[in-house]
Amino acid sequence: MTTKTLVYVLLVCVVVLAVVPLLWGLSTALKPKDEVVTYPPRWIPNPSTLRNFSVVLRETSMPRYFANSLLIGLCSVVLTLGIAAHAGYALARFWFPGKNVLAFGILATAMIPGISILVPLYALASKVKLYDGYSILVIVCTAWQVPTVMWMLKGFFETVPRELDESALIDGCTRWTAFYRVILPLARPGLAAAALLTFVFVWNDFLIAFTLTVSNSRRVVAVGLYQYISQYGIEWGELMAAVMLALLPVLGMFLALQRHFIGGLTAGAMKG
Amino acid sequence: MEPSTGYTPRGFFGRHAQAYLFMLPAILLAGAVSLYPIVYAFFLSLFRTRYLERVAFIGLGNYRQLFADPAFRQNLIYSLTYVFGSLIVVLPFSLGVAILLNQRVRYRAVFRALIILPWVVSQTIIALLWGWLLNPDFGPGIYALELLGVGKVGLFTDTRSALPTLIGVNVWGSYPMAVILLLAALQTIPKELKEAARVDGTSRWQHFAHITLPLVQPTLLVATIMLTLLYFNMVTLVLILTGGGPLGATEVLSLRAFKEGFDFWHVGYAATLGIVIFFFNVVFSLLYIRLLRQEGLQ
Repeated sequence: MTTKTLVYVLLVCVVVLAVVPLLWGLSTALKPKDEVVTYPPRWIPNPSTLRNFSVVLRETSMPRYFANSLLIGLCSVVLTLGIAAHAGYALARFWFPGKNVLAFGILATAMIPGISILVPLYALASKVKLYDGYSILVIVCTAWQVPTVMWMLKGFFETVPRELDESALIDGCTRWTAFYRVILPLARPGLAAAALLTFVFVWNDFLIAFTLTVSNSRRVVAVGLYQYISQYGIEWGELMAAVMLALLPVLGMFLALQRHFIGGLTAGAMKG
Repeated sequence: MEPSTGYTPRGFFGRHAQAYLFMLPAILLAGAVSLYPIVYAFFLSLFRTRYLERVAFIGLGNYRQLFADPAFRQNLIYSLTYVFGSLIVVLPFSLGVAILLNQRVRYRAVFRALIILPWVVSQTIIALLWGWLLNPDFGPGIYALELLGVGKVGLFTDTRSALPTLIGVNVWGSYPMAVILLLAALQTIPKELKEAARVDGTSRWQHFAHITLPLVQPTLLVATIMLTLLYFNMVTLVLILTGGGPLGATEVLSLRAFKEGFDFWHVGYAATLGIVIFFFNVVFSLLYIRLLRQEGLQ
């Protein structure tokens, strides 16, 4: 066996390892009820059915959870980008007293582990009457994403030549309009990468949503999946259909926009 | 005449007002939602509590109780086993995969996309997928073990196999991040270096040990920091896959903190655990940063 063949064989092995759990989930989702619980397990559903998907979409609250996740995700993306872009721009362009302390101070908050501050956040959310609302989820998700996104965007702004700011200022722009009209549009690839990472973070988050909301109407996808078993009994076919539906948006975005994702990560994402 | 740069405020603060205004929302948010809560956690850890109510100030009483608690030592041992057990598998595996992906092969982009796919799968879904894959009654994972002659076993019901299995699942969910970082590092190695090595007739192993490894070492260290913190603070995967069981055999420190807080509502005690976890994060980070510095000096 030549080295080249060996490389291919090994790569295929790793691919199998990576996709097998996903394929098993998909296979289960497409099986009728009695087919799900056969032993030894069968990989190809025969007959296959979309019944599990229609049950999840029509007879459970999952659609509501999807809408909630989408809403919280989009709000968090807008808020995170807005706040982080301004801060990143200030760090890339201005000198001001206390700049380094502020920059590293904000970045350091990304190092505070989520599990260490969940209990205080729960207490604070109850105190300010934001517990069990959409807004608290948006606020916490945003706050946890802003430091790394700020750092990422600072890097992108630094690649935009300063002369562009200066000529915009000479043309009569203020700092603000120069930022909005000239610099921000040029940093679009960076903003796209940041938006993707933030959205996936919110869509995948379980802990924040699980601890800061309680009512069914506020539940997000991850929490809905977790509680599926206790709520609807152990129906693996339906659960896997719900899992596949939850995977679809992030998987789709990832496959379509891989380069942005990878660029974003290597630019330094810290909080997992 | 005013220059056309818009308004120009006067005075020390005025001169920098714009910069501070740009920074303000980020400062407020980081302060209110990260910094204040960790300070508040420390404050709460000094009290005996009933639900959210502070009953009595007890100084370091919670910490004394924690360090005397044999369960805490067990949690810590499980956490460290989980972290280093995962690292020992993920780092060499990811380096190997990154080297494979760095070869000139056809369909490289397809291979890369499929191999790092688990990266976007959330911990919730990882737990559900693997829980079903390793289901002791119907899972193909168990069937494979049966074919291998191990027998039909419940990997998550046996106290000896639960933690190693959990580590295996964690490896599946977290290797892509290391692969991405290492692949990026490998791609910065100049082609001339590889060609020069080939001309010199160095063996594959020599090439790896003397060129590849030293060049990716800093990235390896960065990946180690990120993964250590990710593993040490992980709650979701463990909570959903094992819930800490069987008989507490997978109850890592972070899960213990979660349970004290949101299952038992021992708020003061949970805050204490949170502070201890934070302390470990700081220690890990400082340790690795020191290693990174030393490497920079060489």
